[in-house]
Amino acid sequence: MTTSLKPDGKAITQKTTFSLETAVSITINADPSIIWALLTNASDFTRWNSTVTGLEGEIKLGGKLKLKSYLDDKRIFKIGVKEFQPESRMVWGDGNGTRVFTLEKQEAGVVFSMVEKMGGLTFPLWSRFLPPFEESFERFAADLKKEAEMINNGAN
Amino acid sequence: MTQDQLTTEFEACRGQLKSYILRITTSIQDTEDIVQDTFIKASEKLATFKGDSSLKTWIFAIASNQARDLLRAKKRWPENVTDICRDAALSNPEFIQEAMRIRNTSPQGHFEIKEHITFCFTCVSKSLPLEQQLALLLKEVYAFTVKEIAGILDLTDAMVKYYLHTARSKMIEVFDHRCSLINKEGVCHQCTELNGLFNPKQKAEEELAKISMARDAEKKSKEQLFDLRMKLLQQIDPFESDAAELQLGHLEHNRQVMEKYLEEKD
Repeated sequence: MTTSLKPDGKAITQKTTFSLETAVSITINADPSIIWALLTNASDFTRWNSTVTGLEGEIKLGGKLKLKSYLDDKRIFKIGVKEFQPESRMVWGDGNGTRVFTLEKQEAGVVFSMVEKMGGLTFPLWSRFLPPFEESFERFAADLKKEAEMINNGAN
Repeated sequence: MTQDQLTTEFEACRGQLKSYILRITTSIQDTEDIVQDTFIKASEKLATFKGDSSLKTWIFAIASNQARDLLRAKKRWPENVTDICRDAALSNPEFIQEAMRIRNTSPQGHFEIKEHITFCFTCVSKSLPLEQQLALLLKEVYAFTVKEIAGILDLTDAMVKYYLHTARSKMIEVFDHRCSLINKEGVCHQCTELNGLFNPKQKAEEELAKISMARDAEKKSKEQLFDLRMKLLQQIDPFESDAAELQLGHLEHNRQVMEKYLEEKD
């Protein structure tokens, strides 16, 4: 699905019996180091990202994170940082799935993509409790674009 | 570049350099040492100065590196540093006595609210990550450009912009939440409290009316109020002001309190 994803900020979800994948992609006109810094500074996350209501821990390879989302403010997601390639690719994951962040430099700017895949043999048992993720993904991407471009075009 | 040119330029920016290092280290002794060592290092390395930046920028880079080396391993202070230090001061009669002695005998012992505002910023900005604090001071107080700051701190322009933005955003929110001069709900009243202690016959309202940040608080945005706070920092030299001895003594107290507090917290 990700290969056909357009960098237009619109999220797409694909569901099968045993998995769910939501993805979003957006072009950001900012230096990749700014985007990466925003994505990896846990203590600053809630300031610019309206979908995250709490994030504790260090975003580095092997780091353990406690994340709270506006989708369910009472639940704490315990996540590990599984991959960490600066300004290129990062993977967060827990027992239920993974979230992959990628940055790709293109002529029009930096394409940021975020893909979350959940699934497994027990997926049919709990999938009905999952809220729709598209709006959250679109907000995440839009917030990141807005903040990164504002910083990029800021003080000289 | 000759040694005479370096000496002239160094003397021209010594005051700014001293206040910059003091605002980073909060230590008079460390400031004196770093400023002295910066001059020695700059003299030794003078032949390597190629003129890619201004001499002042180069001098600030040498000093910043020394301050970073000194502070890299030290913990940053919490946002509520002034609450912690207030409690410690109230339970330390010797500190209050010494402050009153300075107030009554020193020509640099006047208490002024605007000076305390800048003192307060020095303490609270130590809650920022070190690189963010340095970038913020260099831009907002010492008027270096992003490119110059990138040279001073050996960062990319993009990262300087990121540090500046996040540092500004954080400080704006901290002061909006804490400072009762700009927000009626603010939890910190320390500058007016201390004014009452040191200047009991003076009306705080009259003093506050002279400070545009406090006078115009209701008409200005949080960002504008932060800019006014930065203007005060630009105007006040913590070593030369009428309140210098009093505020430097207070700063020394706060640094000692915080070092003990952070050590005990480990």
